[in-house]
Amino acid sequence: MTASRLLQNFKGGRALIVTTNRAAVEALETTLAKLGVVSEFPEIRDGRAELDLAQLDPERDILFVDGDLDDVLGLESGPAGRLPAVPVIGLVGVEAPSRLKSLVHLGATSFLRKPVHGAAVYMALFLGVNQFQLRGGLRARIDDMERRRHGRRFVIKAIVRLMSQAGIDDDAAYDLLRRESMRSRLSLEDYCEEYLRRGANEPTRLAQGDTPERRANRD
Amino acid sequence: MKHYRIGVMFSTTGSYSVVARSMLNGALLAFQEAGTVSGIEVEPVIVNPNGELPRYAEMSQQLIGSGIRHVIGCYTSSSRKEVIPCFEKHDALLWYPSHYEGFESSGNVIYTGASPNHHVALLVDHLLGNGRRRAFCVGSNYIWAWENNRILREALMARRGRVLAERYFAVGDTELQHAVDEILEARPDFVFNTLIGTSAYSFFRLFRAACEARGIDQPRKIPIASCSLSEPELEEIGPDAVDGHLSSSVYFSSLATPANTIFTASYDAAYPDGPAVSADAEASYNAVKLLIQSLADAGTDEVRAVKAAVTHQRLNAPQGEVWIDPQTLHAWLTPRIGRSTRDARFEVIVEEAAPTRPDPYLVQSSPRYALARTPELKVVK
Repeated sequence: MTASRLLQNFKGGRALIVTTNRAAVEALETTLAKLGVVSEFPEIRDGRAELDLAQLDPERDILFVDGDLDDVLGLESGPAGRLPAVPVIGLVGVEAPSRLKSLVHLGATSFLRKPVHGAAVYMALFLGVNQFQLRGGLRARIDDMERRRHGRRFVIKAIVRLMSQAGIDDDAAYDLLRRESMRSRLSLEDYCEEYLRRGANEPTRLAQGDTPERRANRD
Repeated sequence: MKHYRIGVMFSTTGSYSVVARSMLNGALLAFQEAGTVSGIEVEPVIVNPNGELPRYAEMSQQLIGSGIRHVIGCYTSSSRKEVIPCFEKHDALLWYPSHYEGFESSGNVIYTGASPNHHVALLVDHLLGNGRRRAFCVGSNYIWAWENNRILREALMARRGRVLAERYFAVGDTELQHAVDEILEARPDFVFNTLIGTSAYSFFRLFRAACEARGIDQPRKIPIASCSLSEPELEEIGPDAVDGHLSSSVYFSSLATPANTIFTASYDAAYPDGPAVSADAEASYNAVKLLIQSLADAGTDEVRAVKAAVTHQRLNAPQGEVWIDPQTLHAWLTPRIGRSTRDARFEVIVEEAAPTRPDPYLVQSSPRYALARTPELKVVK
C-alpha cells in the first residue's frame, strides 16, 4: 500500500460498531450494507467491548467507537501509545473536549455525529480509511528515516576509513560508497555498515575499482 | 375518496428545458392515465424553477409547506442535491426521475432513473469490443460530468484503454470550437460526451461540421458516445448532425415492447408539439405510476408507508419490468445502447437480457483502489 492509492470501494469490509446506542447508528448499519460492508456489534460487558484487537485485520476491519463510552476498548488503562491496527471512526455524541480527546487518542481518523445520518457515511468511511492508510505510510517513512539516522555513524566511519586507506578525499569516498550501495541495492547506511563489517582490506580494493561484481566476473 | 396533491417540479424553461419538458409530459401522462385508481384522486401541482438552483430549494419548501408529501422532480444532480435537505428535514419524498452519477442514497428519495452501473458498464464493453480504446472526454462543468468521466476512466484503464484528455465547459456554454479543434488534433477512437443541454447540441453540430470540412466520416471514425443523449435532444441538434451517435440508456422510444407501443402512442397523441419522448420522460412516467399505485396500496401518503409499499411494486413499464430495490431505493432497469438515426430516433444495437440491479456506489464493479493519476516510478539516477 503506497500513500497515493486511495481506497474507494469497501466491498467485503467488516464494521465493528462499539456502542450501546443502537438506535443512533441505525442509518450507519443500513448505509454500510449498501456499500458492501457488514456490521457487527461487539458486546459490551462491564464497560468493556468484548473485542480482541489483536485479531482485527486492517485490510478488512473498520472500528466505529462511540465517544460517549469511557475507555470502552481498554486502551487508556493499558500501555501508552497503543493504537488499534485498523481504521477507527469516532461516533460523536457529546461534543465536549474530553470526549473528543478520547477519540483522538484512539487514533480516530474521521468522525460521525450521532444519530448517524446516512448521507455522511461514505464520506466518513472514505476519509477514515484513507487517512489511516496515509498515516500508516507516514509512520513507515518515519521509522525508515529513524533507522537511517542511526546509520549515519556508519556512513561517517566508512568515509573516514576509505579516505585514509585509499588516499582519496571525502567527496570521492562518498561517491564511491554511494555508487556501490546502489549497485548492491542497499541503502547507503546499510551498505556502509556492511562495508565496515567486511573489514580492512575491502576499501583499498574498492578505491582501485575492484568491486565484488568485477571480482566475480574475473573469477 | 382520498385526494392527494403531488408536487411536480421541472425547469421547463432555462438551458436544459428540452429534456425537462419531456419529463413533465411523461409525468402528466401518468397522472391522466391514473384517473381514479382504487379510490384515490391525485392532483399534480406544477412548479418551474427555471433552471435556477436557489429556486429549487424555495419551491420545494413551498410545496412541502403547503402539505404536499411527494414531489416528482429535478433533472440535474446539482438541483437534486439542493433540495434533498428540505425533503429530509420535513420527511417528504422526492421521486427523482433521471439518470445520475450515483454515490448517494437518501432515505427521502426514490430514484427511478438509471444508476451509473446501468449506463457506463455496457457502453465501455461495447466500445472496447469494437476496438475503441482511446477516449476524449468533453463535459459540462459539474458533478455529472466529473463523476462519469472518473467512472469511464477507471473502466477503460482496467482494460488497457486510455483517456487522452478531459475538457469542461460551463452549463449553457456554446463556444466549443476550441474543444473541437483539440479533439481533431488528438484523434481519439471516440468522444465521451457529458455536456448537457444547449452546450451538447452546439458541440454535436460543430464537431460534425469540422469533421465534414476535413473529409472525416465522423460517426465511423470518431463516434460520440453519451450517457444522457435522448430523442428530444436529437431533434434539437438538427438534421445536419443528428445521426450516428451512441447513447447508453435504459429506454429508447423505438423499443418494440407492447407497453412502449401504447406509451409512445399516448404520449404523441397528448403532446403532438413535443418534445419527443425521452428516457427521462419514461422515468418520470414510471415514477408517477409507482407513486400512485403505492399511495393506493398504502392507503395514506405518509412517507414511511409509501416507501414500504413502493418496494412491493412490479411495474410493466415501457422499457420492460421495473421495480425498486428495497436496500437502495434505486430502480432495477434494463441497460441498452442505441445509435441515432436520421429521423432523430435510436436503433437499439445492444441490450441486456434482463433488468440489472442498481449499484449506486459501484460496489460490484469499481476497482478497490482509485487509479493513480501518474505511474509510480522512482528516479534512480
